[in-house]
Amino acid sequence: MPMTDALLSSVEQLFSLATLVSMMIGVVAGVVAAAIPGFTITMAIVLTLPVTFTMSPLQGVATMLAVYVGGGSGGLISAALLGIPGTPSAVATTFDAYPMARKGEPGRALALGIWASFFGALVSAVVLIVAAPPLAMIAVKLGPWEYFSLILFAVTVVASLVGKSILKGLMMSLLGLFIATVGQDPMMGVPRFTFGVDVLAAGIPFLVVLIGIFAVSQLASEVENPEELHQGKALVGGKIRFHPFAVMREVLSRPVNLLRSSMLGVVIGAVPGAGGSIANLIAYDQAKRASKTPERFGTGIADGVVASESGNSATAGGGLIPMIALGIPGSAVDAVLMAALMVQGVSVGPRLIMDNADLVYGMFLAMFLAAGMVLAFCLISMRWFLRITEIPKSIIVPVVLVCCAVGALALNNRVTDLYLLIGVGLVGYLLAKLDYPLAPLVLGVILGPIAETNLRRALMADGDWTLFFTRPISAGLLILAVLSVAFTARRILQQRAAARA
Amino acid sequence: MNAGKMNDNAEMVSRPAREASSERGKALANVIFNIALAALFLGLFVQAGDLPSSMWEPLGAGSFPRLVLGALVIFNLAIVVQSMTALRNTDRSASVGARQWFLQRRLAFATLAAFSVYALLMPWIGFALASLLFLLAVQFILGARRGRRLLIAAIIAVVFGLGLHLLFSQVFLISLPPGRLW
Repeated sequence: MPMTDALLSSVEQLFSLATLVSMMIGVVAGVVAAAIPGFTITMAIVLTLPVTFTMSPLQGVATMLAVYVGGGSGGLISAALLGIPGTPSAVATTFDAYPMARKGEPGRALALGIWASFFGALVSAVVLIVAAPPLAMIAVKLGPWEYFSLILFAVTVVASLVGKSILKGLMMSLLGLFIATVGQDPMMGVPRFTFGVDVLAAGIPFLVVLIGIFAVSQLASEVENPEELHQGKALVGGKIRFHPFAVMREVLSRPVNLLRSSMLGVVIGAVPGAGGSIANLIAYDQAKRASKTPERFGTGIADGVVASESGNSATAGGGLIPMIALGIPGSAVDAVLMAALMVQGVSVGPRLIMDNADLVYGMFLAMFLAAGMVLAFCLISMRWFLRITEIPKSIIVPVVLVCCAVGALALNNRVTDLYLLIGVGLVGYLLAKLDYPLAPLVLGVILGPIAETNLRRALMADGDWTLFFTRPISAGLLILAVLSVAFTARRILQQRAAARA
Repeated sequence: MNAGKMNDNAEMVSRPAREASSERGKALANVIFNIALAALFLGLFVQAGDLPSSMWEPLGAGSFPRLVLGALVIFNLAIVVQSMTALRNTDRSASVGARQWFLQRRLAFATLAAFSVYALLMPWIGFALASLLFLLAVQFILGARRGRRLLIAAIIAVVFGLGLHLLFSQVFLISLPPGRLW
């Protein structure tokens, strides 16, 4: 049977020494990076990308998944010990893990978070394996009309989920789509918007946009405040004691909370644009609503830690569902994973699971493996993590910027990409200061060529443009796109009215 | 009682005050920025009309970009209108505070400026040396001015400048600019 062949082949590739070692390094790097305030998981993954160029596709993706899953747990360390979320996905973790640590139980707070992350990642991997293949089977039957409408839907959902103004969100998506058109036309190879400038001749590579937006401009906003640069004193001192197995039982004695938070994480992760940074807050909020003792949330109780950490870890598997099944990334991190596969020459789309079954099964297995590695690594080494969170930003920022430069150079070894990187970083920084959300821009850049190719294919197949509105799935997706904008606009108007009253 | 909470409170007091004063500046910046963008995209829209069409398909190379650019012009004008209303609602006597805005973020701009110099120097003096200098310069800008911190900064610059160069060129076999001067 070809399926078992693919599975065996993926096991063989995954359990090779090189892959296991690179995954282990990835896990450590992810945990450490996410533990450092100011260093996000997305940054860590973006910077892992150039390192994977020399690896086989599966080894590369498995390593990046290891960084991703590791990062999901790392944010918890600074959240619990410093009260500062190491990454945006650990915001709700500070609500209960930090008070718990201050009350003299830092070991319990950390262990609770680690186990909750582990189970959240497991649940999401199971859902991914169950949901992605059938979704891909449906997706292969979609024509270019449906695909174009699907991308419009994805772009509008992202624009309406992030940021305060839907106009600005949509404008950023469109800007992303436009940036993607610079360089060669995808079907005829005609140069567009290059103005005879060498720097633009090859287009603006999306890796450069990713690093510029998610690392360079982000790092610039980290060093804005001179007073904040000297933080990083651990507020929880003393010895940290661990009872890993007692805490595991404690986490498992809350199956409803664990499962609800994980499933919320999976669903939120699967929606393009949403992700860990939203999932932890919603999971925490839902756990509080469902609790018999909501007033104790925020005082350092186990339920709060479990909800937030299982919720944010579960987005990892959820985000992979649309990427594997449809070729549409669920979050910035998935966009980077997709970029990694495309650089390797693997075409990402609904046929991925049929054409590269071993790769997809390998990704599924890598999720489990990474979750186990993170668990083992964190439980063994947690005691030393207080040190990492003390590294000041004045060291982190320049070191990561040098890594950004390496990332941009590694793609094509062109110094002009470095100039583009600085341009994108500066523009991204200014846009962020003017309250423009940056995630829609990046998704626009990645989805732009797919949108254009499908639009042109659709009209080549049949010149009748009304087909976009008369084919049922395409029409349904367009209606959803309009609804997502309408609902958000209504919500924002209501909020404004409430603020005025 | 609780250091973390106290920090939060201090920030809560200062933040609305700071944002109120920058509200007018932000609205004004948005108006200028979006008018400029609308003009830019309109120009590109016109220019995209010269892109060739194809005999094989109804849409040529120019249609999709024109669709996107047209929508961009409309959205930018909408944001201009929105910001104009916001601008009218702000206190006219409040200063725009552009100078203060840049001064507050001087470290961020200094870091980005250093990064640009780094990129310009790299083809000439090579990745390793450029990185070493850049690491030292930015740590200095961000506060490692003397004594032990400067020493740590120097060690970090050497370790990461040369270390990353060796790691990428020897282990990952990614070639980095060697420098034209030698």
